[in-house]
Amino acid sequence: MKRQKKLVGALLLLTAFQSLILFAGFFAPYDFAAQDREQPFAAPTALHFIDPHGNVHFRPCVRNVEDSRQSAGAGRADSGHCFPVHFFVHGTPYKIAGLFVSHVHLFGVEVPGHIFVMGSDAYGRDQFSRFLFGGQISMLAGLIAAILSVSMGMIVGGIAGFYGGWVDELLMRGGELFLALPWLYLLFAVRAALPLHISQWEVFLLLVSVMGLIGWARPARLIRGVVLSAKQRNFVVAARGFGASDMYLLRRHVLPQTYGVMVTQMTLLIPLYVLAEVTLTFLGLGVGEPMPSWGSLLSSLQQYYVLSSYWWMFLPALLLIPLFLVFYTAADALQEIHKTVTL
Amino acid sequence: MPAKTSELDEQGQKMKPGPKFDANRIEPLLRVASLSKHYLQQRTFSRTEFTVSAFQDVDLELFSGKTFALVGESGAGKSSLARCIALLEGPDSGRIELEGENLLALNRKALFRIRRRVQMIFQEPASALNPRLTACELIAEPLAIQREGTQIQQRERALQLMEQVGLDANQERKLPFEFSGGQRQRLAIARALALKPNVLILDEALSNLDAPNQALILELLAELQVSHSLAYLHISHDLRLVSQFSDEVAVMYEGRIVEHKKTHHLFASPEHSYTKELLATVHSVDSILLERSA
Amino acid sequence: MKYFARRLFHATLLLLAVSIFSFAILQLTPGDFFAPMGLNPQISSRTVAGLRSQYGLDRPLPVRYGHWLQDVLKGDLGRSFAYNSPVTPLLAVRARNTLLLTGTAMLLAWLIAIPLGMWSAVHRGKWGDRVGGVVTSGLLAVPDLVVFLVLLLVAVRTGWFPSGGMVSPAFNDLNVWNKLKDVAEHLFLPALGLAIATLPTMLRHVRSAMIEVLEAPFIQAARAHGIAEWRVRFRYALPVAANPLISLFGFSVGTMLSASLLVEVILSWPGIGPLLVDAILAKDVYVVIGAVMLSSIFLVVGNLFADILLFATDPRIRVE
Repeated sequence: MKRQKKLVGALLLLTAFQSLILFAGFFAPYDFAAQDREQPFAAPTALHFIDPHGNVHFRPCVRNVEDSRQSAGAGRADSGHCFPVHFFVHGTPYKIAGLFVSHVHLFGVEVPGHIFVMGSDAYGRDQFSRFLFGGQISMLAGLIAAILSVSMGMIVGGIAGFYGGWVDELLMRGGELFLALPWLYLLFAVRAALPLHISQWEVFLLLVSVMGLIGWARPARLIRGVVLSAKQRNFVVAARGFGASDMYLLRRHVLPQTYGVMVTQMTLLIPLYVLAEVTLTFLGLGVGEPMPSWGSLLSSLQQYYVLSSYWWMFLPALLLIPLFLVFYTAADALQEIHKTVTL
Repeated sequence: MPAKTSELDEQGQKMKPGPKFDANRIEPLLRVASLSKHYLQQRTFSRTEFTVSAFQDVDLELFSGKTFALVGESGAGKSSLARCIALLEGPDSGRIELEGENLLALNRKALFRIRRRVQMIFQEPASALNPRLTACELIAEPLAIQREGTQIQQRERALQLMEQVGLDANQERKLPFEFSGGQRQRLAIARALALKPNVLILDEALSNLDAPNQALILELLAELQVSHSLAYLHISHDLRLVSQFSDEVAVMYEGRIVEHKKTHHLFASPEHSYTKELLATVHSVDSILLERSA
Repeated sequence: MKYFARRLFHATLLLLAVSIFSFAILQLTPGDFFAPMGLNPQISSRTVAGLRSQYGLDRPLPVRYGHWLQDVLKGDLGRSFAYNSPVTPLLAVRARNTLLLTGTAMLLAWLIAIPLGMWSAVHRGKWGDRVGGVVTSGLLAVPDLVVFLVLLLVAVRTGWFPSGGMVSPAFNDLNVWNKLKDVAEHLFLPALGLAIATLPTMLRHVRSAMIEVLEAPFIQAARAHGIAEWRVRFRYALPVAANPLISLFGFSVGTMLSASLLVEVILSWPGIGPLLVDAILAKDVYVVIGAVMLSSIFLVVGNLFADILLFATDPRIRVE
């Protein structure tokens, strides 16, 4: 089916992207905090296949730009020396998933050469590396928050839909309260309550928890709907006729019907929360230095001269577009499939 | 009002319509007395509630090996009554007795044990079977819930039941959608039989089947009634079906039983106006068909 | 009338809960506006305590909330520590600006979404609709942040539109007509950005609402009776589609308010957004609560307005 192909394609792309991010340390030539004060705002490094002596190589090499500070990113290339790009190099150590330490990087060049695939920022930090590492933070935030929201939504929606009555009323009214506030304002307000000077990890965790906890209302409402209709289905009634307990009914018959909704909600919420984290960090209210986040990569764009002169700083923003496109395509495909499955 | 139903009994109360049996009769398996239930409904967009009566003052008796039919149009409260008798909903007043034991007064534990004895078959087989479970899992589910036997034993029994209802046991791993409508209803029957019930409530169980399937399922039900000594409560709006397959008929109109006789009596000499209406429509359709084919 | 009173009561309860909620969250703050001051060895702790007491920060919570609520109902939203002035006039100006922005963006977005949505629904499946669908999906994937940054880039690079603020420095010297033009020039990019950000979702909803209505049997019946197509669409379909569309309107107020926060900061539009962000960084408590409450009020009022519209246009609701 066309929809399934769309879904599979989207999922494959997502997996590929996620692996890129998960193994950020491997794919990134530099550490996210490594600064090179002599290369601020360097343009993306050009690859050359012809060395200074005029020979053609398979292996590309890079030329150093002399003091990009003076030339605003378009410096004079040092034509004397071309540093070959090596693969599977030994570089700065990094952790995979916070557990394994490795030194191997996919590619790199010898010092004093440098390879900035996406250019560098004001402190000479490689944007490409920061993009990959930043992805770890931002995507993780989105994922955890989405899981939190959907889980809470399942619990609340399940209880409200299954038991009905005043419990249902109370929970849904509570949900209305959360939906009544413009969510970004609510997020900001809660962020305001958090102290400004706590460790970055704590900020991250608190932020993620808050995002997740305020977003339960919509999933809860949807799940409640599913539970309400599932509760009436005759196979649930029949099971009750066999003496099944409420827990059994919920576990075996009712909640499995909600899986479809939950997955769809996840695909919609993850990009939303990633964007929330990015927005917060962009405005200086999210995770701060030295933790990289896509938001901090983009925050320098608020300054006009950066925005107009250094085009490569815009790249992280543009790269977000295909990512979200894939997420929304997956969500669309899932919704269509789900519609045809539920009779 | 027809003469017989306005007779008063010794206490001066109106006698309810009922069959005239002699005093030496067998004890009923299931007895329902003065059962009533009402709902509260809310008008849309307003807070005022008003009560709607689902059924009132219902009496009936089910006997082992006999079929009791309940007829009436949709919305007459038949399904609601069925659910109450199957202990899936609670009536507001009245009694339900199984071999003398009042089912409405049971505590949770006793209720759990009693469940096995009264089972229900629903109108729409597809909705009565969880689409994600295999045939074997579906039939074995009541055994699993009531914790009867090991998993292997449960599966054995499920396969046995499949054969009993005329299904091929090799299809045990198939999902409901892979079966036809008639076969799904057989699955539902097999499942209902798993706990060896005494009473089977057929809530419009044949209404969604086409004629050939109806006949086949009727056959199966008749066989099972004899082999398992089951009492059937057959709820239907289809008079013709009822005439073939029941010993007693009660007609329900607006929540009350207005006429209750042995089947052939009812068809031969209906008393209540509504009963006559029902029969008339059946006859008129018959005669139209007869005219056409002539 | 009863319906309306009930919705009003409901809305008030909601706002009350919102106020308690925002106040409560803010009070979880360890440390307050004067905490950094307390760390300064040169400022005596008595001065800090005095300042605290002056601003009422040393009283118990429910008391503070009670006082605060009283004041709010009188129109006094407290005092800003950072600006050292009452919050209400501060917020009022910003609120006006935000309303201007969101109102314009709303108008813009709906003016595009309704005709385009209807057209897509009518020509469903054909080439134009499919292209539109692809473009909409694409636009949906572009994060609001990126849209606003792009617009900022356009402003900075081309100079066609001012890149920030609401008025030019020489505003006060302009005559009325030029004043209007000035504001409009500054308003254009932020409003456009907001509209673009919310357009894809709205377009989709309008289209699906229209499709659902157009496929309804009563429409087919109208056509079968020989009623002209345009009449069918406007006199028969649109009024029925109005119901879900009005609900959508109520919902879109919320998303637009959230998005307006970001666009105001990026394009330097002097609305509630930038004020809120600064207040959070400065821990200017009353400003923060005031801003959050205000935005909630807008949302609730927006929804109430949608309810009233619904009441006025849908006869089914009027029947009790």
